[in-house]
Amino acid sequence: MAKYFDVIIVGAGPAGSLAALKLARAGLNVCLVERGQYPGAKNMFGGLLHNTPVLNEMLPDFWERAPLERHVYKKVLAFMTPESAVSLTFENENFEQPPYNGHTVFRPAFDSWLAAEAVREGALLLCDCTAEDIIKKDGRVAGVTVKGREGTLRGNIVIAADGVLSFMAEKAGLRKDFKAKNMGVGIKLLLGLPEATINERFHLVRDEGADISFVGTTGGMGGGGFLYTNRESISVGMVVHLDSLKASGKAPYEVLDELLQHPQVRKLVKGAVPLEYSAHLIPEGGFTAMPQVYTDGMMVAGDAAGLCYTNGINLEGINLSMTSGVLAAETAIKALEVGDYSARTLSLYKKKLDESFIIKDMKTFKNAAGMMHLERLSRTYPQVLAGILEKLYRVEGMPRSKLLRLARKEALKEVGLKNLIADGIKIGRALL
Amino acid sequence: MNIENLQQLTQFQIDEQAHIIVDKEICKTCDHRACVQSCPANCYTFDEETKLLSVVYETCLECGTCYIICDKGALDWSYPRGGYGVCFRLT
Repeated sequence: MAKYFDVIIVGAGPAGSLAALKLARAGLNVCLVERGQYPGAKNMFGGLLHNTPVLNEMLPDFWERAPLERHVYKKVLAFMTPESAVSLTFENENFEQPPYNGHTVFRPAFDSWLAAEAVREGALLLCDCTAEDIIKKDGRVAGVTVKGREGTLRGNIVIAADGVLSFMAEKAGLRKDFKAKNMGVGIKLLLGLPEATINERFHLVRDEGADISFVGTTGGMGGGGFLYTNRESISVGMVVHLDSLKASGKAPYEVLDELLQHPQVRKLVKGAVPLEYSAHLIPEGGFTAMPQVYTDGMMVAGDAAGLCYTNGINLEGINLSMTSGVLAAETAIKALEVGDYSARTLSLYKKKLDESFIIKDMKTFKNAAGMMHLERLSRTYPQVLAGILEKLYRVEGMPRSKLLRLARKEALKEVGLKNLIADGIKIGRALL
Repeated sequence: MNIENLQQLTQFQIDEQAHIIVDKEICKTCDHRACVQSCPANCYTFDEETKLLSVVYETCLECGTCYIICDKGALDWSYPRGGYGVCFRLT
């Protein structure tokens, strides 16, 4: 196996496959290298494919043809203590029509479908190939070596869309060593339930789906839990920061068990059959933890470029990934036109990223990564909220206080004035 | 969820070639062995008697938690050869 390509893309995930589709449509000779037996075999996420304008533009009828589970109609943010749940539910008829705001999907199914779209337009997909190293020629990246199916692939441009651990970016000297505080690990259990049961339990009809975020179910660690409804299954899991996990000395699956055993969650998953267990890292360091995204002969897209952020309310990555893949492809097309693959030409990619919503949003919420590390956010504040509501609702023949006094007393008792002010500033800086 | 039954839940294409190699000498003196508790697939065990750390790479989910968490340089960690390792069917 020794071939020459216009562009070699490492990783047939959402970023890589959409880049391949864009390049193939431009009539370029593009190779998509995937280490799994099929695209998506190594990929896992919570479950929500966000609305992504570039995907809608390139595949306008995608929601009719792609293997989707349910469109998300109901968003729930739930603050949990061991015995209670305080939740905010948003149901919206405007999320009921195309372009839907998001769909739950299974990654092996969706990623395989997206890669097949690229193949149909002429891209070459090579599965069973783990990219091992980059090849350099005249000081620039000019290909990759692969193991599994052994060989060397050479080309003018390499797009590294090889995921969160991006060994390609590392080999090209584009990133520093990872820090535990900039990574989260997501673990997830897929649970089978009949479609009718899901609809009844979550109050859904037809293809409507629910997306529930849990705060306070991570055993005191920084992070959060999630539940997504698929057609005939639900995905339940959690994300915790690695520094927090390391310090806790807890086993992640035991904490997931606690979530599944929570009185309010237990009712939702009752009778469900475990179908698959998975884990994956998430680049959660935000804007300040991003690697360099281009060098001579190479661009980095998707998780590999750290394009992901959460502010506690929005958890976005797959939409940023796909958009970055297309921007890298546009840059490659331009570079191939002028026959110059130097860093100077490929810097156009960075410019495009900067001008897009990707970097704008990551900059807007650049302080959110620090805020998400406030362990009180997932440990103490749910207690405060639940404490206030319990006192508010409990009837026991005792004189009541006014709302503000009650809230202040509860917050001071659990958090303390100094922490309350410090947290307020941190949260304010991140979100307000 | 019983993590011991992982192989019945998640599919693996097992390679005879290990993709994680631990330096047992370094692990003997490690002050946290966070890999043991943190691994979502419970791949690591430490034997208190022999003071040896061992890894079952066969059921590794390839998440990379250990790779990030180990700060002693004791892990030689790479993705398995193409086609091998974890093979998610649904998820």
